[in-house]
This record gives sequence, structure tokens and C-alpha cells, in this order.
Amino acid sequence: MFTLDGSGIPAALASEQSTIQVPEPIVALPERAEIGGSSRDLLPPAFQSHQILPQDLYATQLPVEEIDYLAVGAGLGSFVWIDYLRLFGASELQVRALGIDDRPYARYQRLCANSQIPSHERLRSNSDSCPDNIWGWPGYALREAWQEFNQGQLKRAGQYLWQVFAEPTFAQTYTPRAQNVFASIDREAIRIGWSQIYRFGRVRSIRQTTDGRYAIAYSPGRNQMAFVIARYVQIATGYPLLQFLPDLKAYREQTQDFKSVVNAYEEHHHVYDALEQQGGTVILRGRGIVASRIIQRIYEARRRNPNIYLLHLMRSPKPRGNRFGKAQRIVKNHFELQPFNWPKACWGGTLREQLEASNPSQRSHLLADWGGTTTADRRDWGNIVQEGLTQGWYQIAFGQVLRVEPSPQGHPTTFIQSSGGQGELKLEANYIIDATGLDSKVSNSPLLHDLVTHYNLPLNPAGRLTVANDFELLEMRNQQGRIFAAGGITFGGPYAAVDSFLGLQYAALRALDALVAARAPQLRGLNGFRSLGQWLKWANNQRP
Amino acid sequence: MTPTLLGRWQTRLLLMETVGLLITLIFCGGGFGSPGGPIFFWLLQYLVLFGLAWDYLYIFLQSYRWDQDWPAAFQWLAALWEGLFIILVVDLAEFKLPGTAADWDTGWFLFHYSFVWIAIFIVSQSLMRVIFPRWRFRGGQWL
Repeated sequence: MFTLDGSGIPAALASEQSTIQVPEPIVALPERAEIGGSSRDLLPPAFQSHQILPQDLYATQLPVEEIDYLAVGAGLGSFVWIDYLRLFGASELQVRALGIDDRPYARYQRLCANSQIPSHERLRSNSDSCPDNIWGWPGYALREAWQEFNQGQLKRAGQYLWQVFAEPTFAQTYTPRAQNVFASIDREAIRIGWSQIYRFGRVRSIRQTTDGRYAIAYSPGRNQMAFVIARYVQIATGYPLLQFLPDLKAYREQTQDFKSVVNAYEEHHHVYDALEQQGGTVILRGRGIVASRIIQRIYEARRRNPNIYLLHLMRSPKPRGNRFGKAQRIVKNHFELQPFNWPKACWGGTLREQLEASNPSQRSHLLADWGGTTTADRRDWGNIVQEGLTQGWYQIAFGQVLRVEPSPQGHPTTFIQSSGGQGELKLEANYIIDATGLDSKVSNSPLLHDLVTHYNLPLNPAGRLTVANDFELLEMRNQQGRIFAAGGITFGGPYAAVDSFLGLQYAALRALDALVAARAPQLRGLNGFRSLGQWLKWANNQRP
Repeated sequence: MTPTLLGRWQTRLLLMETVGLLITLIFCGGGFGSPGGPIFFWLLQYLVLFGLAWDYLYIFLQSYRWDQDWPAAFQWLAALWEGLFIILVVDLAEFKLPGTAADWDTGWFLFHYSFVWIAIFIVSQSLMRVIFPRWRFRGGQWL
């Protein structure tokens, strides 16, 4: 290992230009290409006004649907909200979800697969973070233990139960297999009638109507436009962009080489295929959970071809973890470690309360203290890193990246600056993998950007939508009408872990409680015996 | 569930005075072959009372943990200590807690307390979540 002792470009400072678009499935159309083009032009002139007369939409002769509840996105955030709507009493006929994937976890699954988490691998999620189950019971650990028990695998069953009992202090934290989570969502989707609720459509614009509702324009196909008018709307559009380090983005633009420099969240299996066949060197940027998974993938590739080397480029050493109050996060080999992407109490303990009670400026400080790039303290990952360092195939380098240029052989060459007087260093590799994450800034989503600019909505210090403690966009309230948001687009507000399964559940629960208080149609509070009744229906796989 | 102080108190009071009380009343009535008597009732109330104070300590200890959490294993260690404390006070120090002087029997206390604790633990891990879906997000507050 060699140290250049420099400081690099903080990923958090990566500019808006340092992003690329999240790859969509083949059936989907590129958002950016369309937004300035034809489908946007299809929006009727009424969408220029502050509030729309519903009759104006009917006058377009285009399809118009009126419904009580509408989820924009149709991903996991939408699914959880709609699941709760159904549990709280709404029928599937009152609810609509608009998005581009019929399975709510499709995009998440794609991002997992790209970032080298195949279905049999485990997600960084807690046992009781269950998108299919509001109660979190039975959690995935108990379900998996039961499965194993039924197959006679008593030791494994016991191991999962021990993990949830003793984690994280006396046992490695339990995390569910991706395929088990997806299967549980499939089951719940059938139970709540998701296939009747979901419609394919790219949402183009959201406007208030003059009668206290919202008009949503969407494209059900190329050069088509349709409208939904709903009184209660939830926006959960997820991450519009992959974050890309500026120097790597510049390299790709200059060279048009999209094969050698890749983002961990885009499809890049060719990298491992080529490495396994020909060997080579990889530079890895970022030190979060995705970086850990990529190190594991390279380790697996080395079993087929030991002539593979990995240089982990970090901007600065991390000798000590973040401190908060009397506590400090642990660090091993310059990785900050914690079971999940936030300290656990952010989901429902003391830290959740503290963040909610704070003002926007205090929230920024708290999020900085608790946040940062971390990975999980998994024994196998720790062993791989240690083995790699000992054997020399894995090395960690520190330095500020000056630029990335192609070598005469066409390989991406990274020039880094040493602050320790060693001057400029040149690192040549066959591939560079950027594992610095995803971007959910409002300005990067045409839909949200349009909404924010049209209604002059405030953004929080993190550049995301400002939401109330119950995740409502208060400035969008329209008589009885309400708009809520969930997921990464609300990061920086009253809740830290917005982009987690449990965070989506929390946001949905808060929104549903607000809707019940607002006497939204058909909804009744879910607590006590009603909750028990719904749980029994869930357990028996009966419709809510 | 990562508890807050208020959540600890609310959960302790609810579970001890429902599940715990139900089991205790059976013991008071001579169920499970016990000698019976009000001592089991009083012991339960002391467990609750001292427990409210212990919760202060647990929250303090929790603040030293980065995740500010309280694993299930810690709940068991805490329960072990709370039972031991009652034995220390009543049996070893022979401190006369009202209502416990006459029929104290360490063996029966251990049996009663273990029964109550395991029942409470199981309910806190299951039924509490099902009946109070917000409980886990509010640090154990159910009110």
C-alpha cells in the first residue's frame, strides 16, 4: 500500500455536470431525449397556467381519468404507499400508479444487478425492513429461518435467528437475500391487486386544478399523451441520475470510451468478462457498499484468472471514523463501517427524533455527522481486503485526481497529485469503475424541475424537495388536495434514511396518517385490532 | 426497534402490566404449583419501578453506541441484571421491600421472573409490532 496523503475532489461537490443518466430498460425511452422534443410539445397550453380547469383537459379529446389516489413513479416508494392505502381501506379502483416498469422493484433490481448484487446475494437491509409488510413481522430472518427449518437445515435456521438476536455486537448483521425480498413483493403485489393499479406511463407534468385536485400529464407511449386527475398524489421517482466523478465524465466525453471507464450502477459485466479472460488492472473509485461488492466480484474473477489487480483510489486516508456525541464509527482499512447506510437509530430511535425536531441548518450538520460513505462490516469482505493487501493484488492509493487521459495504448491513465512532495503520479489501468453513487437532485429530474420552477417550490439545503414531517409538499396543497413525496428526492429533510426500505415504509405511514386526519376517502386509521385484522389477512394471503 | 427513553418506559409499563400481570396473577393464585400469595404481584411492581430507573442507565449506555441501538441480546443481559438486582436487594441484603418480606423464595422468584420476562420478550418481538405498527418507528412509544 502506498500513500500520497492528498485530498481529492469530494464526491459531494461533484457538480450537476458530473452525472449521467440512469440506464433504463430497452423498452423505455430516454428521458432527456424526449423531454425537449415531441412528447413535451404535446402538453396542452393549459399546463402553462398555475391551475388547470379539468374541462380544459377533456377538451383536448385525449384520455382523461379521474381517481382518488395517484402514485407517480410506480417503484418501491409508490408500491409501499399504495400497499398502505390498501391496508388503510382504499380499494384498488381508487388507486393508480404510473411508471415504466410493471414490477415495482424492477429498477432497484437492475441497479442491484449492475452493481454486482445478483439475486442470490444479500442486500444491505435489515430483517424487519419489509416492503411487503407494514409491521416488519415476521422479518426476513424469521422467514428464511422457517424456510431452512422446513428443509431440515436446522443449523442455518438457528444461525439466522442468532444473527437477529445478537446483531451487530455479537454477530454479523443479518441481511436478506435479494430474491427473497423480490419474491415477497411479488406476493404482496398480487394480494393488493397491483396489476390493476399500475399503468405504463412517463409522467411529464403535474399541475394543480381549480377544483382542489392535481392534473398529471403522462405519455403512455411515444408521441402519446393522457391525463389523470387525482386529489391525493405521491411522488416517488427515485434517483434520476448516476453520480459520476467529473474527471471520469470528462474522459468519457473526450474519448467516447464507455467501456473502459464505467459507473458501478450501469451495466458493466464486460469488465469482469474481459478481466477473467485476459487479466488486467482496475482502478476503483469510492469506498461505499458498492465498492465493497466490486472488490468481492474482482476477488471472484481472480479465481478464474489470478492476473487481475485492483487499485483502490481514495482521496484521503480515513484513520478515524465520524464522531457524534460520545460515539464513534469504527474504521478498518480506511473503510468506515456500520451495518446500514445510517446509524440504526435514524430509522426509529433517538436520532430520528432529534433530526425531526431540528431546523434545516441543524439537520444539515446532523446529516453530515451521521452520514458519509460507509460499508458493512461483513466478515467475508474484511477477509478479502486483508488477503488482497497481504498478497498485493489489492492496493489502496490516496491522492487528488488531476485528470484522466488515454494512454498511447488507449488505456485510461489517472494522474494524481501527492501532497507529500512526491509530485504527480501516473496510474494506468485497463478499467476504472466509479462507485460513488447515485444522484437525486431535483434539478436533474425534468419532471421535478418543472414542478419546482412552475410553483416556485423551496428546496432543502441538500437540493431536494422540502417536505413536512409527514412528507407533504406543503406549498402544493390545493384545498383538500395533497401531494406527498418519498425516497431519495426528499433527502436532507426531517428523516435521514429516506431511500431505504424501512424509510419508504416510514414515509408512507406518516403520509397515510396525515391522509386519515384529512378524512381522505375510504381511509381509516390502522392500529390495534384493525391492524391485527389486516396482519391476519396478510398472513393468510387474503386481499386487504 | 431502537428505543428512546419514553419508548422504553411506555413499552415496559404496557407489557409488564398486561402480559406480565396476567402471568403474575396466575402465580398469585397458586398456578404452576407455586405457593401463591401477593408477593408475586409486589415483585412485579418492584421490577417495573426499578426498571424505570434502569431505563435511564440503558439510554445513557446506548449513547455510547454509534448506532444508538439496543440489540435483543442486550435486552436479555439487562433482564438478567434486573432480576439479579431484586435478588441482591431482597435476599442477600435482606432489604425489607414492603410486600416481599414474608414469603420470599429465590427459586420461585426466578421461575416467575423468567416466565414473565420470556413472555414479554416474545410479545415485544411480535404482537407489539402487529398491534402498534408505529411502535418501531417511535422508539417504543405506543401512545
